[in-house]
Order: sequence, then structure tokens, then C-alpha cells
Amino acid sequence: MKRIIFLLAGGFILAVPATSNGQLLKKLKEKANSAVNKAIEGKTGNETQENPNSSSSSSESASQSGSNRPVNKGGAGLKNTAPPDVNAAMDDATKSFTASSYSDARYSVQQALMGIEIQLGHELLKTLPDNVDGMDKDTTQDKVVSTQWGWNNMTIQRVYSDKKDKQCTITIGNNLLYSGLVNAYFGNAYAVESNGKDQNVKQVKVQGNKAIISYDESKGYTLIVPVGQSSMVVWECINFANEDEVMNTANAFSIDNIKKTLGEK
Amino acid sequence: MKKYSILILILSFTVSVNAQDFAKDIADAKSSYSAGKLADAHFSLEQAIQEIDMIVGKEVLKLLPAKMNDQASVEKNDQVTANVGFVGATVHRSYGDTTGSQVEIISNSPLIASLNSFLNMPLVGGMMRNSTTKVVKIQGYKSRLEKQGDNQNGKPNYQLQIPFKSALITITANGMDENAVMSFANSIPLDKIAALIQ
Repeated sequence: MKRIIFLLAGGFILAVPATSNGQLLKKLKEKANSAVNKAIEGKTGNETQENPNSSSSSSESASQSGSNRPVNKGGAGLKNTAPPDVNAAMDDATKSFTASSYSDARYSVQQALMGIEIQLGHELLKTLPDNVDGMDKDTTQDKVVSTQWGWNNMTIQRVYSDKKDKQCTITIGNNLLYSGLVNAYFGNAYAVESNGKDQNVKQVKVQGNKAIISYDESKGYTLIVPVGQSSMVVWECINFANEDEVMNTANAFSIDNIKKTLGEK
Repeated sequence: MKKYSILILILSFTVSVNAQDFAKDIADAKSSYSAGKLADAHFSLEQAIQEIDMIVGKEVLKLLPAKMNDQASVEKNDQVTANVGFVGATVHRSYGDTTGSQVEIISNSPLIASLNSFLNMPLVGGMMRNSTTKVVKIQGYKSRLEKQGDNQNGKPNYQLQIPFKSALITITANGMDENAVMSFANSIPLDKIAALIQ
């Protein structure tokens, strides 16, 4: 059993940087692709306009001369499925439970939970400010993720941007293990400080709530506030001038409102 | 016989009480949801899931064998415990008074789903063969058998882990040889348990 707990803890500790590194690498790749594409357009833009057929024929020849494997050129993508009907799911759960189909009953309750979490996530997004510190919300990047495991790993995300380099991503999530690790961090404050000059992690307060702020050259500022018993609010701030800007941004959000919506104390 | 009749009566009463709890939780969830109290509805549904997990746990206990080789089950130690954070339950049955042999089943847990991905990795989790560990199949389920030294009588101790999608069965068999462990594991109705715990 101790081994299982150790592996679980190790798994999640590995999963956090793996997940964040994966996302960072993806963002870097996207930025690199974007830069390369811009360079190519700059060099060949006139040629492309004068010879539109040559560019299309070259792409056709590329698809043909390679390995004869077709290259995807487009598609409608995936459509968002509607969230589960909460009332219908609860009725299904009752029927399955009465018939002693416990696995089906469980599934139906999980669907109802997912429906509620998605609704709750959207409600919370509506309460977040439209503009923060000169950055406007980018609703195209709004996300509500429910894993149907009952709060665990539920994630609500919104991005604010000044349309240039400055961006702030706020993620509100529920994760018992991560928030537990953050809370354990506060109990070991002596391990926080490296040296006074190069301290890159420190404790602060946001609207009276204990928080951790960290800085990384490649990621910018990250501010984490554990909320209630198992939730967290995380701000990831890119190209912010200093930590005061980060704190001002964070203070534009109401932690009490977030707590109330999530049912936390 | 009278003892078993009373036990069945108590278990039936418990299941009946849990059924009422489930119905109440769903009713509370519906009324909270109708009133727009999403957090309250959410909490009631989590309670409902926990009721299901506890009932399933008790059903799983009924399916476990009464004996592990020559070690009888210790009824007073039978346990079904809800896991932290409303995710699944842990079913426990021990065998032999002092042997430490037991069966533990963690059900419906997303944490276990992550752990199982480790267990299934040859290098990290140990689904590999070395001097103490090997991969076996129990009723078609890939499992990890590990020899864990010997007991005080010089007989071997084994641990068998059978991962499912979001559940894990761990059999700790102390003081018996590998054939006895495999025989015991094969006597467990894994398909029925798998259908309940996932």
C-alpha cells in the first residue's frame, strides 16, 4: 500500500511537468511554425500572388512525389457535443440503481456530474472580468473541462491578451492532490528561500488567501492560490514587467466569488 | 445456519438503507438543480456515487473466496471504505489470523487509472521479468506477480497485482507457493468483479 501511494505521488509529480512541458513545447512549436511561415510568405509572397498555379501545383507535386501518401488538406474538424442532460441522467441513474445495474447507475450519475460541472464552469466564466490590466478576454480560448470523476481535475480556463506579447491565462481547477501539495508547501516555508537575490518562488497573499508566486525565464510568472479544501486558481502571466503587475491582475478577480461558485469555504 | 441467516438479514438491511440513501441523494440533487444551486446538486451527486461504491464494495466481498489456500478469511476484518475525494472505494478482506494475507480492491478511481499506466510500463512499473517479478495472465488479465521474500517458516510470500481500467486488485499471499497463489487468483470471478468495479 505504501508503494502504491509513493507511485501515485510520483505519477502526479511527473505528470505536472510533463503536462506543462508538453503544452509549452506545443506553444513553442506553434510559435516557431508561425515565424517560419511568416518568413516564407515574406520571401515568396509576390511570387505566390503572380503564380498562384505554381504554388498549388508544387503542393500537388509534393503530395504526389513523396511517398504517395495523401496529405490532409482540410476538414470540418470536430463539433462540440452538447453537455449531458442532467435531469435525464439522474432519472437513468435511478432506473439503473433500482434494477441493481450499479455500473450503469454510476455512469449515469457521472454524466449528471459532468453536466453540472460544465454548467458551473460556464457560469463562473461569465463572472470573470472582461478586461484586466489593459488585456481583453479572448473568449475563443475559454475552456471548461470536466472529467466526470466528481470535481477532480475539473478545469476552467480563460485567456486575457493585449494582442501583442502580454498574456495572462487564468485556470480554476479542482485537484485534491495538487492543492494538497500546495498546502503542504506552506507547511514547509523554511525550504522556500534559496537566496535573497535570486529567489524565484515566494509566498504572497491574494485577497487574504495564501499564495505562491514563482518566476521562470521561459514561462514568466505563475501565481497559485489554493482555494478551499481542494480547488486552486492559477494565473500564468507572460511578459509581465514585474510581480506587482501580476498581483494587480490577480486582484481584479474575486476569489470569494470563485469560492462561492465552487461551493468551497 | 442461524448465524448466516442473521448476517444475510443485516447485509440486506444495509443494502436497503443504502438504497434509501441513494434515492434521497438523487432527490436532493434534483431539487438543488431545479433551484439553480449547482454546487449543492454536485455535492448530492457525489454522495450518490459514494453510496453506489459502498454497495458495489459489499457485492464484491460476497464474490471473494472464503479461503486462500489453507487460510480462512477473517470476517471481522472485512471492510469497504470510501476513498478520499469521493472517488471509488477500497474493499478489503484478510485471510489467516496472523499471516498478513489479504485481498484489496481499489475501485472506480482515476488515481488508479494513472497508476495502472505505470504498472503496465515494463521499465517503470515492473510489467517485466526479473529475479523476483514476472508477468502472468489470470483469466486473460495481464498481471504482475512479485515474490516478496519468505515468511518466518521459510515459505514464500507473493504479491499479485491485477490492474483494470480504473481499478486494481492486489492479492498478498504470504506463506504459500506460486501454484497456490495462481490457483487462488484463478478462483476469483474476475469478470464479474470487473463488471462491478469499473
